[in-house]
Amino acid sequence: MRNNPSLLLFPLIAIIFLSLSLGPGGVRGEIIFKIRLPRVLLGIFAGGVLSFVGGVLQGLLENPLCDPYILGIASGATFGVSLSLLFGHVSYFFIPPFAFAFSLLSLFFVYTLAQVSGRIQKLSLILSGVLISFLFSSLSILAMTFSKQPLAQIIYLIMGNLSVLFSPLTLMSFLIVFIISLILLYFLFSYAQELNILSTGEEAAISVGIDTERLVRMVFIISSLLTGFVVSFVGSISFVGLVVPHIARALYGYDHRKILPASFLLGSSLLLISDIFARTTAPVELPLSVVTALFGVPFFFYRLRRL
Amino acid sequence: MDAILLKELSFGYTKENLFQNFSLSIPEGDFLGIIGPNGSGKTTLLKLIAGLLKSTSGQVLVFGEDLFHRKPKERGRLIGYMPQESHFLWNFKVKEVVLMGRYPYHRRFEREKREDFEIADLAMRLTNIIDLKDRGINNISTGERQRAVLARVLCQNPKILLLDEVTSHLDIGQAIEILRILRHLNTTYKITCLFSSHDINLAAMVAKRILLLAKGQVIACDRPDKVILPELLEKVYSIRPLITTHPKLNIPWVILNLRE
Repeated sequence: MRNNPSLLLFPLIAIIFLSLSLGPGGVRGEIIFKIRLPRVLLGIFAGGVLSFVGGVLQGLLENPLCDPYILGIASGATFGVSLSLLFGHVSYFFIPPFAFAFSLLSLFFVYTLAQVSGRIQKLSLILSGVLISFLFSSLSILAMTFSKQPLAQIIYLIMGNLSVLFSPLTLMSFLIVFIISLILLYFLFSYAQELNILSTGEEAAISVGIDTERLVRMVFIISSLLTGFVVSFVGSISFVGLVVPHIARALYGYDHRKILPASFLLGSSLLLISDIFARTTAPVELPLSVVTALFGVPFFFYRLRRL
Repeated sequence: MDAILLKELSFGYTKENLFQNFSLSIPEGDFLGIIGPNGSGKTTLLKLIAGLLKSTSGQVLVFGEDLFHRKPKERGRLIGYMPQESHFLWNFKVKEVVLMGRYPYHRRFEREKREDFEIADLAMRLTNIIDLKDRGINNISTGERQRAVLARVLCQNPKILLLDEVTSHLDIGQAIEILRILRHLNTTYKITCLFSSHDINLAAMVAKRILLLAKGQVIACDRPDKVILPELLEKVYSIRPLITTHPKLNIPWVILNLRE
């Protein structure tokens, strides 16, 4: 059992090269840089951040079924997307900030709802996250019903895809968001030991000297921001945030100092592989969530049998 | 100076307060056994002292300073709290769990140092689980897991140990072993111990003082032979057991009787 998660960097680099060279049009400089490189960066961003945040939340909320969407953020962003499409064809530049604005709105709702006599508790976070998810999902479907856009297109946009067309401005904004995300991830990583202890119980954490309430609040806000960033750009990619941390734990144990970086690298790799699969196997590009679910389900089944 | 001084504490889970203007002083080096019926406030009292619960009024003074005026890590260095049961969702290794007790001595990003590993080893040796250090925390017995949690608490190097009915889920062999360890910690390292128990006889075996609690009030707080008396036990538990003296130790011994 390899004990050093940074070794995962090598397969990731190999997959990056693979992703850059595969696809219609062969190996041409222009295609690689204009079309595939942004796609690869998006894939690393989405897969890495979702898996990292999934790992953090599973530890924080002591729940192996958590994924980044449990906090209700993705459904808010999805609603933002479907709302923006309500008015016919909208320039793609509009969508990410619109989606992010609504993910902030759902963050605000979840945060406010989760307060029980001025304190935030893990259970109330999960419950209010689920509540807001239902609310915004229903509103999204309502918006889709009245939308002028064909339904297929909306599903394609919402269910996750890496084929975003970048203009220089949106590319710049994405790179800035990517760098901010890396900083936020590093910040979360600095609390890895606190997350370790908190994952063994809230009372254990308090009695050892951790300010759990401040920690939960901070982790929740940062996780929501990061999830909002990802969903605003690529839609809701399912399973990655849920399954990858479990793979990391199977390989490296339970110490967050190992599984968080491992989750990031594994998640990026897995998402890029899924993306290669999604765009090369069928004449039509498959929605990414479908591919990740197809990979995720057998893995989960295998893990279940080992229990 | 008192290790713990509770001043006019008020606290309740509902509108009705369980503790009302509750005061108690515990000198340093004390070994206090807390007994009383369910609902009397044993667990609540320990959680209030540990800082896991906040009183609505009054103060908890630890070595002269208000508990909540101290920073969380400072509290972690002073007070160790051990709950009745510990469930671990993730199967950390025993040594990983024990090392978590060193957290109050670390700064952000500080990795464990050799000193931490040595202290963890010492704690595991004291609690007799050193041979289990590489096993998963969920792959050992309940008694061993309790001792692992105790080892973690000991790594905090606390001056005060709070133990909430820690022997309830242990068999008699495991219970005696834990009590022996606690007695050793109290006499050798002068750690102030407070522990709650349903078993009055076990408490009397190790405690220097017994606190008899009922409905959030002090019924008696004194040496075992001054507290474990038939009239007091009947008042609190509504049964009248026989009280005799332990044949080997000079402590009161409760003998239960089905017929009265």
